[in-house]
Amino acid sequence: MEDFKLRFYTNFIKDDRYMYLVTGLGNTLAITFLAVLLGIVLGFLVAIIRSTYDKTGKGRILNALCRVYLTVIRGTPMMVQLMIMCYVVFGNYNMSKLIVATLAFGINSGAYVAEIVRSGIMSIDPGQLEAGRSLGFGYTQTMWYIIMPQAFKNVLPALANEFIVLLKETSVCGYIGMMDLTRGGDIIRSRTYEAFMPLIAVAIIYLVMVIVLSWLVGKLERRLRTSER
Amino acid sequence: MSGKGEVLFEIQDLCKAFGSNLVLDHISTQIKSGEVVVIVGPSGSGKSTFLRSLNLLEIPTSGTISFEGQHITDKKTDLNRYRQKIGMVFQHFNLFPHKTILENLTLAPIKLLKKSREEAEKEARGLLARVGLEEKAGAYPAQLSGGQKQRIAIVRSLAMHPEVMLFDEPTSALDPEMVGEVLNVMTDLARDGMTMVIVTHEMGFAREVGTRVIFIDEGVIKEENNPKDFFEHPQNPRLQEFLSKII
Ligand SMILES: Nc1ncnc2c1ncn2[C@@H]1O[C@H](COP(=O)(O)OP(=O)(O)OP(=O)(O)O)[C@@H](O)[C@H]1O
Ligand SMILES: [Mg+2]
Repeated sequence: MEDFKLRFYTNFIKDDRYMYLVTGLGNTLAITFLAVLLGIVLGFLVAIIRSTYDKTGKGRILNALCRVYLTVIRGTPMMVQLMIMCYVVFGNYNMSKLIVATLAFGINSGAYVAEIVRSGIMSIDPGQLEAGRSLGFGYTQTMWYIIMPQAFKNVLPALANEFIVLLKETSVCGYIGMMDLTRGGDIIRSRTYEAFMPLIAVAIIYLVMVIVLSWLVGKLERRLRTSER
Repeated sequence: MSGKGEVLFEIQDLCKAFGSNLVLDHISTQIKSGEVVVIVGPSGSGKSTFLRSLNLLEIPTSGTISFEGQHITDKKTDLNRYRQKIGMVFQHFNLFPHKTILENLTLAPIKLLKKSREEAEKEARGLLARVGLEEKAGAYPAQLSGGQKQRIAIVRSLAMHPEVMLFDEPTSALDPEMVGEVLNVMTDLARDGMTMVIVTHEMGFAREVGTRVIFIDEGVIKEENNPKDFFEHPQNPRLQEFLSKII
């Protein structure tokens, strides 16, 4: 027990080492949050372009571009994308690592969000589009007022799960020298020459966040299922 | 609004093909203001396609449709503005499930006719009262029976003050005991002078409420007549066969 106390002290209290975890957690949350926003914007845009093409045949070139984007992003490892963003795209600029990571994760998550949202749009009864159009709404208005709200509701749980995945994926940030939660734990390890305490602490923090988020998603799912029925 | 008896739709040589499948084959007819035109025919004969061509949910392959003297099949037509004047009721209602009944009725008037919310809601409540569903204003579509949904779908269209109402088998998806309540609403509408084009299998309704019945078979108008002669003295052999099967 004394031993445990001492190890706890050297790993977290001494020299304010817990600050590595706090700062790291802050960065992890910041990257995840910003990447989520970017991913949603990109994902919805791509999903709308793709399903508009599927439904009306309009926007061939845009659709083709979107398909290239989806293929490339989903066909290469996240870590490679992150490193390319850092050392190739911004190789010659002194860009903040936070921005680099946000862009890389946002662009990556956009591809997965796009396919989730697209499946949501395609799952809406075509009669909804027809009803909107025959009232006199244009295509865009019908999408905005009638199709998207329903599609969004249908895919909200899947989207939320995608972001739980994203939260965990950001742990590779350390490879471009970003101080995220994982890296914070790793730095403590390199100072104290002890792996157990810092890494288990990191794991527990991730686990707690994921459990809380999953619980919220579950609540949300039940909410959506019971309302309007 | 056009006066009663004026020509609303002038349809000339309307053809529609899906790929190599010619579904409408040179359809020509007129629809006048105040008419209640009932369209009957075997399954797959092109009734829905014809009806849906009238508000350009299907784009004709060739031929022309004019509405109040305007060629709506022109590229220049403002489709959205045109469709505001044409109400459409579907077999499967197509209410907006994420909106309350009141919101279903007020969405288009607020966004498209630029009505204030109060004005649109006041009118919507009036329409709901007209079909006996005032107390459902705050409910969601999923909480309604089929017959109630269809009555809501009808008044949702009416909220746009259409000049014509199109109905595509409005009672076909309903349990038998709910057919009557929907037909009653349609009958009232006809009595009020609404121009209506109705695809239906309800021959009793066609006979009593219709002012003209059209028989479409294999994409062709094989016969059209006033209901009495249509049902009592059918001329076309295919129509005779059709009527003998269903009555
Ligand atoms: N979007 C479409 N694409 C391809 N073929 C179609 C399409 N819509 C209709 N058809 C075909 O056109 C023909 C006529 O269809 P339509 O729906 O107009 O018939 P209907 O008279 O309304 O039949 P029902 O009584 O079964 O509703 C059918 O052979 C149908 O398969
Ligand atoms: Mg049909």
